[in-house]
Amino acid sequence: MSVVLFVSVLLIAACGLIYELIAGTLASYLLGDSVFQFSTIIGVYLFSMGIGSWMSRFLSRGLVARFVTLELMVGLVGGFSSSLMFLAFAYTEAFRLVLYLVVIAVGVLVGLEIPLLMRILKERFRFKDLISHVLTFDYLGALGASILFPIFLVPRLGLVRSAILFGLLNAGVALWSTYLFRDQIGNAIGLRAMCFTVALALCGGMILSERIASSADDQLYADEVIFSRTTRYQRIVLTKWKDDLRLFLNSHLQFSSRDEYRYHEALVHPGLAALPGAQRVLVLGGEDGLAVREILKYPDVRSVTLVDLDSDMTALFSTRSEFTALNRHSLTNARVHVVNADAFPWLDTNTEPFDFIVVDFPDPTSYALGKLYTTTFYRLLARHLSEGGLLVVQSTSPLFARQSYWCIVETLKQAGLRTYPYHVYVPSFGEWGFVIGGLRDYSPPATLPAGLRFLSAASLPDMFVFPNDMLPVAAEPNRLNDQALVRYYEREWKEIAR
Amino acid sequence: MERDRSITRRTFSAGLVGLTAKAGSPIAGSFVNDSFPIGHRLRDRLPFKAPAQRVLMPIVVIGGGIAGLSAAWRLNKRGFRDFVVLEMEPQAGGNARWGENDITRYPWAAHYVPVPSKKSILVRELLEEFGVLRDGKWDDRMLCFAPQERLFIHGRWQEGLEPETGPSRGDREQFRRFFARMAEFRASGEFAIPRESAPAVRSGELDGSTMQAWMDAEKFDSPYLRWYVNYASRDDYGASMSETSAWAGVHYFASREPDDKGPLTWPEGNGWITRQLLARLASYVRTGSAVYRIAREGNRWSVFTESAEFVADAVVFAAPTFLAPYIVEGAPAAEGFVYSPWLTANLTLERPPVENGAEPAWDNVIYNSPGLGYVNATHMSLASERVRNVWTYYWSFAEYAPVQARKMLLAKSWNEWKEAVLNDLARAHPDIRQCVSRIDIMRHGHAMIRPTQGFLSRSAPRIPRLFFANSDVSGISIFEEAQYHGVTAADKALETVSRA
Repeated sequence: MSVVLFVSVLLIAACGLIYELIAGTLASYLLGDSVFQFSTIIGVYLFSMGIGSWMSRFLSRGLVARFVTLELMVGLVGGFSSSLMFLAFAYTEAFRLVLYLVVIAVGVLVGLEIPLLMRILKERFRFKDLISHVLTFDYLGALGASILFPIFLVPRLGLVRSAILFGLLNAGVALWSTYLFRDQIGNAIGLRAMCFTVALALCGGMILSERIASSADDQLYADEVIFSRTTRYQRIVLTKWKDDLRLFLNSHLQFSSRDEYRYHEALVHPGLAALPGAQRVLVLGGEDGLAVREILKYPDVRSVTLVDLDSDMTALFSTRSEFTALNRHSLTNARVHVVNADAFPWLDTNTEPFDFIVVDFPDPTSYALGKLYTTTFYRLLARHLSEGGLLVVQSTSPLFARQSYWCIVETLKQAGLRTYPYHVYVPSFGEWGFVIGGLRDYSPPATLPAGLRFLSAASLPDMFVFPNDMLPVAAEPNRLNDQALVRYYEREWKEIAR
Repeated sequence: MERDRSITRRTFSAGLVGLTAKAGSPIAGSFVNDSFPIGHRLRDRLPFKAPAQRVLMPIVVIGGGIAGLSAAWRLNKRGFRDFVVLEMEPQAGGNARWGENDITRYPWAAHYVPVPSKKSILVRELLEEFGVLRDGKWDDRMLCFAPQERLFIHGRWQEGLEPETGPSRGDREQFRRFFARMAEFRASGEFAIPRESAPAVRSGELDGSTMQAWMDAEKFDSPYLRWYVNYASRDDYGASMSETSAWAGVHYFASREPDDKGPLTWPEGNGWITRQLLARLASYVRTGSAVYRIAREGNRWSVFTESAEFVADAVVFAAPTFLAPYIVEGAPAAEGFVYSPWLTANLTLERPPVENGAEPAWDNVIYNSPGLGYVNATHMSLASERVRNVWTYYWSFAEYAPVQARKMLLAKSWNEWKEAVLNDLARAHPDIRQCVSRIDIMRHGHAMIRPTQGFLSRSAPRIPRLFFANSDVSGISIFEEAQYHGVTAADKALETVSRA
């Protein structure tokens, strides 16, 4: 009998610690600065437990019934604590308030548990045994929980489901207590019915939590997620914080609406403004339509062909208002043709010439993407350039990935192109690089389209000047059979991420 | 535009989300290209139909694999037109045959040619003709794309075949010492391709022992290095290093320059070369023409197929040499010619499987697997996204005696082999069964010659006006040897014809 009694102590101790760990982890994930978050949450939690212990003296009659109710309340509040905090983070401005309210509520309730239980058990044991047993099992439960949490719960269940699971444990302890102490309670049936109701609610939460768990738990975005979808090729997430829209593909930041104009003006205008009379433009990648928006500022451009693999993406950017407001309906403009195809084979089976080609692919994080940065690819591109035409390539950061950047320049050279490297500062990315390539000489344009937010003809030549820490370094060209770029890129970003 | 700092390269395929096939959908397939029924009729000397017509044909080439087609290429190039190539199978190509489905072409056996050195004159001549080599530069669409190879070891894929996770400093030191030894052998120049182009063999004593004995003698005892060397032997010769001549074992590593990033490969493997050859030579090739008898007729040979008897001044015997005693009148048994049986399976995948570690490569090998791994047929595609795919899986049965392996090959059902292949692949791809929709399996009873201990002193029988051309004459079953012997035999046949 006695061991059975103390198992409840072990379980409720484990539950209590898990809720505390969840709150700390969640706050660290969402707010950063884990030392601060864990310190304040542990402090507030322990203090709240103290309040609970103090409050226990005001409970006098029907202790078992009160203990059962208390367990159910801990189960409910603790079980839904992480869901509540995630929702608060996504839909309110008051995440911190909710966080600390939840921590205080759970702390007070958990603080009530042990004093109450000890009073229930005091008739059955001598005081010194009671204290010894209760505290032994309390600490044992804490140890079990603290080991289980990082090894099993977070990686396997995630924060949302872990909390609910332990809420169910609390409800289980409540139900069990109605049997253990049945001689000390009046209305056992009513209490049991409450236990089942709470358990049911938690199970329902478990089922619903899949949605929170999949979108929020394993892909934690700093801002509110206002849209997410999984296409055949990637997972698209759009977040919003005040007026800042951020697009993530497979959790990689694609753009921030606050500074994307810097990136896209720098991508398009240095090349295109230098080609008066350019009529046919090709965009590879750039499914967001933002580069196309810049291209459409040239009345002489008669047609823009955008080649992108993912038809779900281009459809999204053609129709969804958050995007069309940003790209000014560029993808549905009569001058624009969207082709959903894999760029390399499409170029290979096509002979159409273009006056200006914009290459805006994801960074070469894999050999599959690295193919689109090879001598073979650039030679093929050069064949699609009209007489005097130019191309521009987004080329990762010459500061963070210096050798990768100059490897792209070298690869363009090896493909027989004259290269004109330049760079720009985009706050959400940092220092970013581009390369203009052509078969003829290029000089920066003297005039630009009206109404640009970032570029001016006067400042433009400065972009072609590289400060000391971004100056050229030796690099092998990137070839299909020997992708030096992918190796450089992996090494350089690893050094940054360290 | 992707400006993120996290590296996704190693988890790239895991990023292909939302692609799920129905679990437990049945896997179709069958045995294909079975050649043993005719082979066994020849072996058992069962009767064939007598030909209805008799044709005078100055040169007859027997066998339409790379050796036979190379003989034809040579004859044609020298302006000689009065010849025919007789191929037993319905499809020419031999070990360089290929298949095709709605996804891609794929190989049935040989799947690459190493970048030939300046000394491989014939290979360069052929590839120049096909446009693979232009102005001294290789077509970059035919040089194997990166990543070329990966190895599944200790639960994850790594780049390259040389084990990286696991080996101790001592193991690494042995790898270094091994490659240094191979560089010495390479510098000697006698491990050449084709083999006959080398100066006289001085390290003949190597041929007197097995590769395993040589490894022991050199104190190469690292299990990782021994796996690596044994894998090379199983892959190139179909025999484990305990069954392979040390000279051949060294030849694998010492015959090629390590500088050029190759090899040359195509979706259909060496089937691409077969297709180019056939585009020029198809009019000479008669498929479905099994030769069941070659008899002397004065100074000529009578070559019998069920449709015609060809009376020839010279015969190029490009079929495997072991067949000669069953067909050629007066031919002695081909002593010492031992062949490895192989199984190749082509798997159609509806989606990429789950995996852990380095990105899919062209050649994908599982450490300590009885199989040799698989080659990705769409690897040479320019596309970035490939959802459906074909894998060619290879199995050489190196640990069995050839006779025993051949029996096993025939005894087991398609279903049993299918399961064996899937079980092996499941070690690296747990959900492989949910990805595969079809597995076709080809059983090659005599897939490749084994360069067994003492093979350097072995030679094909000498028979007047009949010239052996199969790569097995050299003891090493590779494209370059097949081509070299095909061309050499064609030259000898032409000489014979011009004298006649």
